[in-house]
Amino acid sequence: MKVTVDMTMCQDHGQCAIAAPEVFRINDEGHLEYDAEPGDDMLEYVEEAADVCPVQAILIADS
Amino acid sequence: MSATSPAVAPILDVADPAFSITAPEVHAARERSWYATTPYGIAVLRYDEMSRLIKHPKLRQGSVAWPAHNGVTEGPFARWWASWILNKEGAEHHRLRRLMNPAFSPKLIGGLVPRFQALASELIDGFSAPDQCEFVSEFAEPYAARVIAIMLGIPEEEWPIIARESVTIGLAMGVTLREDLPQIEDALARLYAYCDALIADRRKNPGDDFVTALVNASREEDGRLSDTELRDAMVLLIFGGFDTTRNQLGLAMQTFSRHLDQWALLAERPELGRAAVEEVMRVNPTVRWVTREVLEDFEFEGLELTAGTTVHLYSESAGTDPRVFTGGFDITAERKPHFGFGGGAHHCLGHFVARSDMSEALPLLARRMPDIRILAGDSWLPDSGNTGPVRLPIGFTPAS
Repeated sequence: MKVTVDMTMCQDHGQCAIAAPEVFRINDEGHLEYDAEPGDDMLEYVEEAADVCPVQAILIADS
Repeated sequence: MSATSPAVAPILDVADPAFSITAPEVHAARERSWYATTPYGIAVLRYDEMSRLIKHPKLRQGSVAWPAHNGVTEGPFARWWASWILNKEGAEHHRLRRLMNPAFSPKLIGGLVPRFQALASELIDGFSAPDQCEFVSEFAEPYAARVIAIMLGIPEEEWPIIARESVTIGLAMGVTLREDLPQIEDALARLYAYCDALIADRRKNPGDDFVTALVNASREEDGRLSDTELRDAMVLLIFGGFDTTRNQLGLAMQTFSRHLDQWALLAERPELGRAAVEEVMRVNPTVRWVTREVLEDFEFEGLELTAGTTVHLYSESAGTDPRVFTGGFDITAERKPHFGFGGGAHHCLGHFVARSDMSEALPLLARRMPDIRILAGDSWLPDSGNTGPVRLPIGFTPAS
């Protein structure tokens, strides 16, 4: 799967990092970092992260 | 001392109930300095600083100590308050958030839109006069409470229970918490009993609804919500969802009564409902401040913040900061995000519901109530903390 976060929309709330900490994290500067090609076993969590994103900035595609 | 921190920061006496957090004095202070000092700690006045501090890792959510500050350290209310997801941090918070999030998914809420529309129309149809209404009791209160009834899957005619008990629990936000404690705890006990019955029912008769989603929530590493966690969360969701929505709808009417061209535009173009909600929450948010507490000493923009300091982030002041926002109230403008739903790990859990129900209600109100004006007899909560109208008589031209 391929994950894209629209960084022009992202506000670094970090809800994705709570929902799927293996894929998304907030770094020491308070900004989002993420794994753009996580394993398919992560799909359920990534979908949840996309769902809870307050600004709906996360896009998931088949790779 | 950096250029952005004046040698003497402005002082704001926000503990005075007559103080208005949206007064020219606050906006003037914002032009002098990014922060002011207050009897509680500091007040952050500008957008950029609020944006960074609202999700700063060295700050925690700051309302956890409120009951203790009022001498309430034990009993059912103190226990319930401590249980709030808002008052948890770290792993404990994240577990609760993961388990509760799916019930608030935008996917589940989308299906409720036709019911929100029908409800708004029904309430407007029921106004006691053709050209005026008391907006709080005739619209905002029943709308907010019945949206919660719809979410919980309970009969909508039971909405007065939600409204009545929530209003009583709301006394806990005031400075008379200690005196009001017996009635607050009675209301809490009644809501617990109500939620326990609801939880038991959905365990037996699961459905495709919000309560079932909470009852069945589970994740391998997080387990499930216990019965105690479920009832604590549900009472918080009822209380949190009712009060804020009711107040925010009243504030929206206040703002639009000052911008009738925008109100007419919204009536014409209902697809602007979503943008209208965002624009109202930018300039007139019910949550006037977001509270944080400094976890460890650090320096920010030339200011030493010491552990234990209360930091109030002023959402209206940040939302109208001329460094970021120009052009006044305009529901067609592209805007940076406001802070009406807080931010960071504690970003409002129910924001998809609130955004959805208010963006359906406002265009319908605009179409059915042209030329709104606030009539004599309005009364308001103090303009700080969480604010909104207590009574809001509104006159309008009957729609043809």
